[in-house]
Amino acid sequence: MNCARIAPLLDAHLDGELPAATVQQVEEHLRACARCRASVQRLRALRQLLQEAARDTAAPPALRQRLLTALESPVPAPPPARRLWLAAAPGLAALALASYLLFARTASTGTTTPADRFVYHVASSAHAAAVLRTLKNHLDATPSIRVVVVAHNDGIDFLLRGARDDTGAPFALAVHELRQRGVDFRVCGNTLTRRRLPAEAVLPEAALVPSGIAEIS
Amino acid sequence: MADRARFERLLLPHLDAAYGLARWLLRDDALAEDAVQEAFLRAWRFLGSLRGEDGKPWLLKIVRNACFELMHRERLAAGRTDLDDARVDDDGAQVGTALVLPLDPLAAAIEHADHAAVRGALRALPAVYREALVLRELQGCSYKQIAAITGVPIGTVMSRLSRARRALQWQLAERMRADAARR
Repeated sequence: MNCARIAPLLDAHLDGELPAATVQQVEEHLRACARCRASVQRLRALRQLLQEAARDTAAPPALRQRLLTALESPVPAPPPARRLWLAAAPGLAALALASYLLFARTASTGTTTPADRFVYHVASSAHAAAVLRTLKNHLDATPSIRVVVVAHNDGIDFLLRGARDDTGAPFALAVHELRQRGVDFRVCGNTLTRRRLPAEAVLPEAALVPSGIAEIS
Repeated sequence: MADRARFERLLLPHLDAAYGLARWLLRDDALAEDAVQEAFLRAWRFLGSLRGEDGKPWLLKIVRNACFELMHRERLAAGRTDLDDARVDDDGAQVGTALVLPLDPLAAAIEHADHAAVRGALRALPAVYREALVLRELQGCSYKQIAAITGVPIGTVMSRLSRARRALQWQLAERMRADAARR
């Protein structure tokens, strides 16, 4: 019997995401297999339950009104310094890092100007290689931007001496290249202290700052 | 202004969906309002980069990102360093959730669950599971759209969704078991 092969497909089957040929195979199996049929039945019941119980409440009218009012202003108010922005500029790929990667934009005008300053906040090194790639793409797209990378907590790992990415390449090379293009790298001193690392453990390209959080304020 | 008209046609109709997603991700109405406001402002500013006529996935991606930023900021403010409320291992086995679930208690849990229990169970899931379920079951997004919104490959969407559903069933069964034990 094909349970081992079919069972993982049941979710996609329920969601209508399987190609036609596979759908046929799944349905053929379901005709013969009570256990898988029961699984599908449970998934359907769960869906119905969710849709009944978690029905979206409408956005409060006041919120809608605030949004419309905000649009009226000729120049959108500049975000306060602490606001964190995700820049959706063309050329930036894979903002999958969003959970770990925050852009803070400190421009004082409402539009993206070449002199814009971007702060990349890195709190986890899991995606450090991808961060650096994204940053490179960003610079390629808009060479005149000023970028500061602030690393804290686990995000400092890629800025430590000897750090390598998972292809074995030293991070120092990419960091050096970006430094040449004017990117500022800053490592949170609080994190170093907390992790009992000496200042010498950090790549020379990166500057130490007392607190990574204050940097993005 | 053409932009304003476009905004109202392509984005404003999805305000409720945006608010719903934000509420489930942030689990706090006030934060959700902040996130939605921030998201719509960004959407307005970057409206030029929206291609085509379907504003919903594009908008939800902005909302989703604004929510995670807010979550992160709130955690930093509270002095915590963990980035998510529970570890979710996308590649390996599920962490903290039974892989093999006995069938009968599950079926019973689903059959007898009341709405409050379901909402509580959903709230208790890790953020990336909650997000997968909300986008799929409540917002009707396709796998491809969910992948675009959450910024992960379709394979990851599929495995998260599948695990999320199992985790939800498990949560429901646990709650039912705990309730029964209390009586």
